[in-house]
Amino acid sequence: MIAYIARRLGLSILMIALVSVLVFVVLRLLPGDPTITRVGAAQAIDAKTLAAMRHSLGLDDPILVQYGRWIAGLFHGDLGQSYFSEYPVGELIGQRIGATVLLAVAGLVLGVLLTVPLAVLPAISRRKIWGRLVGGYSTVGMAAPPFVFGIILIAVFSVGLGWTPTGGYQSLWSDPGASLRLLALPAVTLAITLSAPLVHYLRVSMREVESAAYVRTATGKGLGRPGVVGGHVLPNALLPTLTAFGVMIGSVLGGVVVVEYVFRWPGLGSLIVDAVLQRDYAVLQSAVLLVAAAFVLANLLIDILAGLLDPRLRVGGARTRARGTTAAALATGGAR
Amino acid sequence: MLDISGLTVGVPGRDLVRGVDLALAAGERVGLVGESGSGKSLLSLACMRLNPPPTRITGGAIRLDGRDHATASEKEMRAARGASVAMIYQDPLTSLNPVRTVGRQIVEAVRAHADTGRAAARRRAVDLLGEVGIPEPAVRADAYPHEFSGGMRQRVVIAMALAAEPRVLIADEPTTALDVTTQARILALLDRIADEHGTAVLFITHDLAVAAGFCRRVEVMRHGRIVESAPTERIFAHPAHPYTRGLLDALCTLDVDPDRPLAVLDDIEEDAG
Amino acid sequence: MTVLQMSEEAATARSRTGVWRKVVRRPATAVALAVLVVLVLLAILGPVVFTAPDLIDVPARYAPASWAHPLGTDELGRDLLSRIAAGGRVSLLIGVASTALAMIIGTVWGAVAAARGGWLDEVLMRIGDAFMAIPMILFALIFVAAFGGDTFTLALVIGLLMAPLTARIARAVVLGETSGEYVRGLRAVGASETRILFREILPNTAPALMAQASLNMATALMVEASLSFLGLGVQPPTASWGTLLQQGYTKLFESISYPLVPALVVVIAIAAFNTVGNGLQRILIGDDRD
Repeated sequence: MIAYIARRLGLSILMIALVSVLVFVVLRLLPGDPTITRVGAAQAIDAKTLAAMRHSLGLDDPILVQYGRWIAGLFHGDLGQSYFSEYPVGELIGQRIGATVLLAVAGLVLGVLLTVPLAVLPAISRRKIWGRLVGGYSTVGMAAPPFVFGIILIAVFSVGLGWTPTGGYQSLWSDPGASLRLLALPAVTLAITLSAPLVHYLRVSMREVESAAYVRTATGKGLGRPGVVGGHVLPNALLPTLTAFGVMIGSVLGGVVVVEYVFRWPGLGSLIVDAVLQRDYAVLQSAVLLVAAAFVLANLLIDILAGLLDPRLRVGGARTRARGTTAAALATGGAR
Repeated sequence: MLDISGLTVGVPGRDLVRGVDLALAAGERVGLVGESGSGKSLLSLACMRLNPPPTRITGGAIRLDGRDHATASEKEMRAARGASVAMIYQDPLTSLNPVRTVGRQIVEAVRAHADTGRAAARRRAVDLLGEVGIPEPAVRADAYPHEFSGGMRQRVVIAMALAAEPRVLIADEPTTALDVTTQARILALLDRIADEHGTAVLFITHDLAVAAGFCRRVEVMRHGRIVESAPTERIFAHPAHPYTRGLLDALCTLDVDPDRPLAVLDDIEEDAG
Repeated sequence: MTVLQMSEEAATARSRTGVWRKVVRRPATAVALAVLVVLVLLAILGPVVFTAPDLIDVPARYAPASWAHPLGTDELGRDLLSRIAAGGRVSLLIGVASTALAMIIGTVWGAVAAARGGWLDEVLMRIGDAFMAIPMILFALIFVAAFGGDTFTLALVIGLLMAPLTARIARAVVLGETSGEYVRGLRAVGASETRILFREILPNTAPALMAQASLNMATALMVEASLSFLGLGVQPPTASWGTLLQQGYTKLFESISYPLVPALVVVIAIAAFNTVGNGLQRILIGDDRD
């Protein structure tokens, strides 16, 4: 198990390094000059001033030197300065990250809390209507872009019922009540976006487990549906779904960007959108790397968790996983 | 005790078990012999009404403990499964839940039928594991199925089947997946259980030799019907049905002329009609 | 050799017709296919049949559904149905073009990785993983901001971003296929590896790749809608489903139906592509339940 964790950790670090190269190269290959955005493209400006500006930002150094400087800075906790506002990037990210973490964690927790009962209910109940309803929920939830739910929720709860503000953010520490009221709609939006595909995979996975011999054994003991589903079908179906969940964290992080925009939530997403518009590579490269690192590390944690939950893996036995479910998860959940 | 009469199981448009009559008395050991696809496994699953969809019980009765398993409600069946009739499955590896300890899986079977506390059920599970011959049962109860060998796993499955002291035990090819030595030990264990608890055992196998060593009576099944039913000695001495003779001829014995062609059961079909 | 090849081709053709027959037998998949046909016909014929999508009629703005305007009108009195049709042209065009691109790049990428194996496989797949570690929408955002949000760029960017995932699926499909009995048979009679890969394995993976293509269409529509919603995708006056949604959103307080109509169309289209993709997948793994 320790060797397994070490290997996974090594792979994750390698992956983050690879992403950093990818982000850096892609940003440098793009057309558009950050200095021009900074001084304003409309103004005529002499080449000398531009060159001086590029030099002061270090943009005229060879690309490898620039990359080395960025990475070296990362290790010292220095992410450089914004090309645009000249604020330290670390500070800019620091101001926004709290809001994004709050929203992402709330969305993830709520999403998982929605998923399990929605998948279990139709399996236990003999009435077909539950299966239809839950199936409809996941079909619509997988098909709707995250902001569509955001708009519907705003239309109903903010505009229609006037229960919540249409958007904004309040720190959880300064005013918990107002903060949670503002958090409710964006968190629910994210939770639906996450749980719809998750419910789908969990149900597919449960249906596969349902035909296993040990489920028949459990029924043969005289257990009722709740006992069979809760004790045997669900625990075995959760393992492959957990991997799908890891992949879907990527779509949640992507969804955060859009949901933040809809609800005017001042997090990393809006920082990234602004940085994109201003060609602020300094902010962009670190912010995007941070998001990617969060995704890779979340998947590392999930892999370790899956290892702890699966007794066959815990003792170092053969690693068996429902690959089909993972592939399907990647196919539909990887987007957004 | 167990009384099956005129049982028909099938998928729409095709009967796979056709009008089977079978009775078992307490402590009796009956062998159900037939080749793959003869309907013997389906018959045994139907006794617990665990026959997989789309197969359905379309006629007849399965009477046991005042219930008719062919028509009982799902709630009644829940009470019957495990307590009236329990099953030992063919493949002990896939029949055990891989992510729960064997102890918990047995505790669950105990508590499904008796209002037993956790601690008491756990003690009973350890006792059961000891009874089926698992060394250090208190320690092994916390192990997972993959940590057992094939033979030990089958003992776990037997312990689980015994948990609610069923009156009838159906053993569906319990030794097929095991090597010969382990096979003999499992058979001896089943023998002892039937003697000590007065449990009726329906022993399903495709191997006449195994059935002969264990059962007092053998039922031969073919194409969904019981074609011959007789005490074991008579089956071997004077098989009445041509198919049974075919089965006997197919047995590998040492005193056979090696140049003689092996018996092929398709030929017998013509005789049987 | 010729005999083997002929029978092999016949077998593939048989399995393909079988797949399509099964698709039509699954009610949900059949309905989804029908919906897609209607949407495509609407996109192709709509701008020809309906009044010009850019026809401004300010007095009739925010008109409710009527015979003249079956889905109502927008803030300038333009007919929503004809705008949905025109937007569908752009959205579906981006979807088809990006899916085609992703399928071509992804299939070659995955097939090479699967066929070569070893370190090349490892390197190719790790690069794909690195791409997929960055949420697609973020990546698309960066590209589109740099290159602009015209139809061509969007299709190119979305297609490139869907390629790594398609490669992973294609690799799995090809690996599954190479372990098949007939491939060993072909090797035994001395067929070349390239020939086996391109003439035998890839055609047999067609249904599985079709399933992935359908799911890619759904993803492309989703990304296009999200980008346009953020104001970074298709730029007005060109209409796409995404820009219609975005414009509708800004007029949420004036008219509920205006944002709702494009939202419904997008959801229905994506759900239909997902359903067809899932249906194909289910049929391929031999699970005929809905």
